Amino acid sequence: MPETLSYTESELVALLKQRTQTAFSYLYDNYSGALYSVVLSILQDKELANDVLQEVFVKVWRQIDQYDPGKGRLFTWLVNISRNASIDTLRSKSYNAQKQIRELTETVYMAAGSINTETDKIGLRKIVNLLKEDHKVLIELAYFQGYTQDEISKLLNIPLGTVKTRLRSALLQLKDFLKK
Amino acid sequence: MDIKEYIQSGIIEQYVLGLANPEEVAELELLRNEYPELSEAISNFERIFEKTVRANQLQPPSFIKASLEKQLFGDDHSGAIVIENAFAAELLRKSRPGVWKYLAAACIVLLVVSTALNFYFYSGYKNSQEQYEALLTERNTLQANNASYQQGLKMFQDSAMKRIEMKGTPGNEQNVATVLWNQNSKQVYIYASSMVQIPTGKQYQLWAIVDGKPVDAGLITDCIGLCKMNRIDHAEAFAITLENAGGSSTPTLTEMYVFGKI
Repeated sequence: MPETLSYTESELVALLKQRTQTAFSYLYDNYSGALYSVVLSILQDKELANDVLQEVFVKVWRQIDQYDPGKGRLFTWLVNISRNASIDTLRSKSYNAQKQIRELTETVYMAAGSINTETDKIGLRKIVNLLKEDHKVLIELAYFQGYTQDEISKLLNIPLGTVKTRLRSALLQLKDFLKK
Repeated sequence: MDIKEYIQSGIIEQYVLGLANPEEVAELELLRNEYPELSEAISNFERIFEKTVRANQLQPPSFIKASLEKQLFGDDHSGAIVIENAFAAELLRKSRPGVWKYLAAACIVLLVVSTALNFYFYSGYKNSQEQYEALLTERNTLQANNASYQQGLKMFQDSAMKRIEMKGTPGNEQNVATVLWNQNSKQVYIYASSMVQIPTGKQYQLWAIVDGKPVDAGLITDCIGLCKMNRIDHAEAFAITLENAGGSSTPTLTEMYVFGKI
């Protein structure tokens, strides 16, 4: 996919700052697929993911001036905005109310076929699933659910130092899988 | 600092994925200024991460792009607008010039009527606004007065208060005033709303008669309900005289209006 890009990141950022519709269109065509997979792998709900993806692009469009190339790639920035927006939605009240309704409907459909197994194959989750169980739990809580290390330590009842070292070794493990 | 060890600690992955806490982020951003190899390692992981995410991307439904463009750039019907304009131009060309004269006249009439209505409604609005403000001031004054009166009434019922009725002196029988004297704090209050109106430049002054001598107990201002006067430790009687505005050090006995013994 990257070889089809005809603008470099810095060219694209400059174009986005000029606020042209062409720049937006290019950004959407080249990043929406990747960002959608991030959003969907966190929310695991297509309707919600549609809403959050729109929210993400509006945010990016309005805040492009805040992007600092000295801190990282545009892609990383976009993914982090997408992840934060998804986690905010996950934490919102309306999401939790909807979730209860969804769980009810899901139990009804459960007899017809499993829904959950499908979500494990979405985007990043596919790779995370390759990790061993105690690493997987940490990435699930930290990356997909947005808990801080402190919160995880309380949640799993393990010392903060252990959370820190285990999270880092999980990430290093993950990096090995990504390299392949 | 062993930078190689630091690079391999997992902090880079944490940072790129947004999983580092603020202190870790601050430390890393400080170190990367010093060690170019750190920046290089970050950039490497970012590329690996991007490659993986892109390899697993999912196409969002197509309506999202359209809806975003509508939201950010307004209705994307520039083509339709051109057609509408062409249509209007055609109409303009075909129609007789007379029609436009009438239409323009009608527009001017409508504009005049609308302007007049604006003035009419605006003056109505201003009137209401002024009346509303006047009422608001009046209501606030009444509310404040009411509070003062209520407090005064409470003092009348207070068992610590000694009440001294002061009756009008001969020739001034229509005057009456009441002294309330707190026996604990020795504070003197006066209710003097039933005194006759005084000429300008004059002021009523309250006196306490202590061991046969008059002691200044304060000037009576136009307060609402009870007026707070001076503290008087002991007295045999109270009296009010009319003095020049600002009061006197000794009472003008010929101008004594009311007197009350304890």
